[in-house]
Amino acid sequence: MTQTAITNTIRRLRFERNEMTQQDLAERVGVTRQTINAIELGKYSPSLEVAFRIATVFGVRLEDVFSYDGGAQGPQRDSR
Amino acid sequence: MSFREKSAWITLITLIVLTLFYLTHLPPPWLLNPPSGFMFHVLVAGVAAFVVIEIVAHVIVAIRAPRDAQAPRDERERLIALKAASIAAYVYAILSLGSVFTLVHLGASSIGVSLGVFLSFILAEIVNYAARIVYYRRGV
Repeated sequence: MTQTAITNTIRRLRFERNEMTQQDLAERVGVTRQTINAIELGKYSPSLEVAFRIATVFGVRLEDVFSYDGGAQGPQRDSR
Repeated sequence: MSFREKSAWITLITLIVLTLFYLTHLPPPWLLNPPSGFMFHVLVAGVAAFVVIEIVAHVIVAIRAPRDAQAPRDERERLIALKAASIAAYVYAILSLGSVFTLVHLGASSIGVSLGVFLSFILAEIVNYAARIVYYRRGV
């Protein structure tokens, strides 16, 4: 299974919001339930717009929902 | 399983079954010099069967889960369709060019070459829907 380097707390946030279902979240975000499931399982990295919409539904900041575990890459150095 | 994943399974299985049916009913030497009348009639029957099976199967799936069937395609489904089509395009280009050069070199009739190109298209579509299913299952 392809895992993305982006992890998320959607499952926990859903549980804390009165056990919101994936279907409820999907309808409020404007995607399919299967896409919410794929995001939760780390099988799909959503677009920035969908990521912001998910954070907005939960009323939290983007970085409270998503975090990047791919390691930091420093800024490109100019070799000249 | 989403409506579009079920749709991909329906199309994939239908294409494989009908293609095998078509190929097993072409008398040898089927690709070099196929009988045009027979080939045409079986081809029309195959396309008609494909359309009927697709419609009936999709209607059944849509009736069982109308909410899923009515939902518009979202960004993940669009991405899966694009990535699968990209793979299928390479397959079609390689197979169609390869079949034309090979069949012309072997002295196939124009109908045989046309059949080769048509089969390349069908195989590319099989790859297209198989790739969609892999992306749906494995992640994209």
